[in-house]
Amino acid sequence: MKIILKYILTNVKERKTRTAVMLLSILLSTTLLFVSFSISASYESAQRKMARGMAGSATISVTAAKGSIKLDVLPNLPSIQTRVGILEGTALYHENGYCESIDLIAADLAQLKQINPPRLIDGGTLDNFSGNQIILPDRFTSKYHINAGDTIALQLGGTPIRLQVAATAAYDTVFLRHTRGANALLPPSTLAGILGQTDGYSKILIEPAAGTSTNALKKALEEALPDGDYKVSEVVNEAQIAADARQKSMPFFLISFFALTMSIFIIYSSYKVITLDRLPVIGTFRSIGATQKAVTRILLLESFFYGGMGGLIGIPVGILALKLILQGMGQSLSQGIEIPVVISPFSILFSFVIAVTVSLFSAWFPVRRASGLPIKDVIFGTVEEKRHSWGFIMLLGIVLFAASVVLPKLAVGNMLYLAGGFSLLGLIAATILIIPLLTNLLSMGLERLYGRFFGNEGRLAARNMRDNKNVQQNITLLFISISAVIAITVVGSFVTTYVSDVFKGAELEGFADGKMEPTFVEQVKNMEGIEKVLPLHVYKNQIQANGITLSRLEGTDHLDWYRSMFALHETEKGMIEQAAPAFYKERSILLSEDCMARTGFSVGDSLSLSNGTTQHDYLVVGSFKSRATDVEAVISSSFTVSDFGASAYAFLAYTAADPDAIIVQIRDLFGETPNWSRTVEEFNNDALATVGAFLQPMHSLTYLILLLAAVGVINNLLINYIQKRRNTAMYKSVGLSNRQNTKMTLIEGFSSGLMGAIAAIFVSYMEIQTIFLVAGPKISMVPDLDAAAFLTAGCMGIAVTLLGSIVPIIKGRKMKLVEEIKFE
Amino acid sequence: MKQNVGKIAVEGKHIVKDFQIGSTTTKVLKDLSLQVARGEFVSIMGPSGSGKSTLLYILGGLDVPTSGQVLLNGTDISRFGDEKMSRLRRQKIGFVFQFYNLIPNLNVEENVMLPLLLDGKKMGSYKKQLHHILEMVGLSDRRKHTPRELSGGQQQRVAIARALIGNPEILFADEPTGNLDSKTGAEIMSLLQEINQSSGQTIIMVTHSPEAAECSSRIITVQDGCII
Repeated sequence: MKIILKYILTNVKERKTRTAVMLLSILLSTTLLFVSFSISASYESAQRKMARGMAGSATISVTAAKGSIKLDVLPNLPSIQTRVGILEGTALYHENGYCESIDLIAADLAQLKQINPPRLIDGGTLDNFSGNQIILPDRFTSKYHINAGDTIALQLGGTPIRLQVAATAAYDTVFLRHTRGANALLPPSTLAGILGQTDGYSKILIEPAAGTSTNALKKALEEALPDGDYKVSEVVNEAQIAADARQKSMPFFLISFFALTMSIFIIYSSYKVITLDRLPVIGTFRSIGATQKAVTRILLLESFFYGGMGGLIGIPVGILALKLILQGMGQSLSQGIEIPVVISPFSILFSFVIAVTVSLFSAWFPVRRASGLPIKDVIFGTVEEKRHSWGFIMLLGIVLFAASVVLPKLAVGNMLYLAGGFSLLGLIAATILIIPLLTNLLSMGLERLYGRFFGNEGRLAARNMRDNKNVQQNITLLFISISAVIAITVVGSFVTTYVSDVFKGAELEGFADGKMEPTFVEQVKNMEGIEKVLPLHVYKNQIQANGITLSRLEGTDHLDWYRSMFALHETEKGMIEQAAPAFYKERSILLSEDCMARTGFSVGDSLSLSNGTTQHDYLVVGSFKSRATDVEAVISSSFTVSDFGASAYAFLAYTAADPDAIIVQIRDLFGETPNWSRTVEEFNNDALATVGAFLQPMHSLTYLILLLAAVGVINNLLINYIQKRRNTAMYKSVGLSNRQNTKMTLIEGFSSGLMGAIAAIFVSYMEIQTIFLVAGPKISMVPDLDAAAFLTAGCMGIAVTLLGSIVPIIKGRKMKLVEEIKFE
Repeated sequence: MKQNVGKIAVEGKHIVKDFQIGSTTTKVLKDLSLQVARGEFVSIMGPSGSGKSTLLYILGGLDVPTSGQVLLNGTDISRFGDEKMSRLRRQKIGFVFQFYNLIPNLNVEENVMLPLLLDGKKMGSYKKQLHHILEMVGLSDRRKHTPRELSGGQQQRVAIARALIGNPEILFADEPTGNLDSKTGAEIMSLLQEINQSSGQTIIMVTHSPEAAECSSRIITVQDGCII
């Protein structure tokens, strides 16, 4: 055993470059895998934190059916850890035409600290928080240039209140919110005084005792509290949190998938060369009595060494990378959300096991083949590469490719994920099978073309690529690397757009949210440069359909504009167009898909809409989904007027030659009237400030995958050089000069890069189709396929291959011809 | 024998070749001089490690001496740069190796034509010459086969055809029968002998085999880096 270990260590030591490349590829993929896993967990944690917002570690909220609730109404259950009374109110902040709604929160600071301690931006603590004081989030204060000690004026029910800013807090804990505006913290007595509330709280937040589930406590509270007087509810929907985190983690899993695929290929191709190199030693081992199993074990032990070492170094590097990435986000903490570093023992163990498994798995095939070779062939050096039946392999490749393209289109429900996974793997595997034939066909064409442009050297370079396993291997790895970079870039930029631009695809360029009389709308329509104006009647939680309250119902007089302004995606093509003629004349209603899922309504149903005083029947004529609006139902504005007595509008969307100029005029028209008026650009900038921190790690990891791709390509070029060293020497022995060798190597490198890039562009396009086909039902947005991203990645692949050709060219110049050609 | 026997085809003057292995310097060729006349068929023999192959590679321009000169038709080639030396290999020298050294993914025709292709010649213009040389080595019916589809003897015939396609002034052969069975080896030797006798091709061959050496017109024996 000692001798074998010594033999392995000597191999590792003697082949420094190869050892370094193998270790680097395993290390990088372990790092990527570990970081992607941990980031997903960190995202989920941040998502949970964001969803809980002010609740912190409290998971249950109790409110009174009418009026306020007192702390002492809660029974003294041992399953309650902490109870915090929260008082809530709303106010308006108005500056330079901007109106910002402020949710005022008050709680006993000592109690609040137990479930959700506010984090001051200067890191300090607040002891004397009383009187007319207010704590604001930094995201708000920095926007309006407010400092601690300043006095601000808020409008509360038309009455101005002046409060002194006691401190600035980070945008988390009680200050986190999903909707526009800001949260502000006040002393309970101050807010109670402002609201004129003498007794009780708006709600009580409850943290369950250790070992008590939220559900159990909820049940216990519902049983203990008088029926109908109080409402007990869970603060967050855990399933929704996990689903949201999964969506944001999608690019990271994609990164892991490609990192692993690349690693497998890098190690596999390295081991093919290693075993070829070791054939004399294998022959010696076998001739002195080592069994096939023993030889396999010896060679696999070496790959275990690479996997183990790569894993052991990769995980600490991953932890460091994770901390650096998340620390980078910490710098934008005040503007965004703090994402905690979550390192689970599972992700450490899993990454290590994967590193070792990938190493062993990739080495297994070449090692198994080498140790199973006939002893005589190995000793006499008469081992020949197996010839495969190209017809069968091609057929298999084409069938697999076709199945990978078609399957996700046929699958439904949960099978879609399975089909998607099969398709991603299948597309790569099928292309690997097809590449040899593709290379042969293309090199035949290039032989003629290069012959014309580059003379016999060009012709020979192209001819050399035919039936050349090294070249095929090089093109394959390049294809995997480039397609990984393309897919990750496209999906990454999609997620960025998806998360930060809800108006993507929507026509509106600005909007106003506030009470607007018809004369106001007319004035907007007459503004210079205005193009389309779409005023809407809005009913929030005021209309019931068959007894179910609709969270938002809107009335419009222009369905066509409504559809384009908010980028409505019809459930069935042509549905809205068909419904349009009847929409204005008869009582028709369009429902969002989310609303239909929530209520169980479907197209063709007759719904009885009521505002509590009048009731009318409407026919559901269509359904849609849209990211630009959270509306649940849309009806014609002629019916909002006739049936529900609407007069003033509450929302207005517009397009204009200069949206900024229009929004300034709109704000001016509002004057002191509370409103929320933004251009889409302003809205997106605000949104990006919040989600920017989420997106940064994804971009950082894209660079890591680029690095892995470059390592893989350079590794392959080195292998290529090792394998074709003798070929180059043979060429030189019959008169190939260094200049000609340089020309041929560069032509070959360029052509390999080109073929790899063509395959990658085509396959990554198919992969992206699959990814969005799988994710499609959950999202109402199509990806932007920027040709420049595809071409840039392709050109980068060619550039890496050309750069990688430099080493073989230099080594070729220094080659000792006699040593290379004298022995086989 | 052809009429030009007597003029010097290649001459080695005071050739010294040192090899550095670690910190030890080994003198493989020790001030060795020799002349080979045009049209001669010379065999170089000697025990393993005597320096015979090193001498052949230096005379053929595949290796450079530590000191001394190699004169090919009176021109010293031992200090030629890469471009000049490569041209020399394409136009004036043919080499046959023990392990054939054929490009595995090129077919017989392409392997044979390689020196001319590297010299910028068009394959179409040399069809006749190619046909003639393949006839001579007995491989006309194998022109589209790749090396892996040929026997050892056939591969060596391809190597000989490749070495001769450019009409070289000298043909160097390093143990051309070393990797072949005795019958095939004898066939290859009779082919080389025929080439020498019919066209007056100068041949310098390294061999271990006394039978192969018998086909040559002169035998040079190298021992411990010196000609004895």
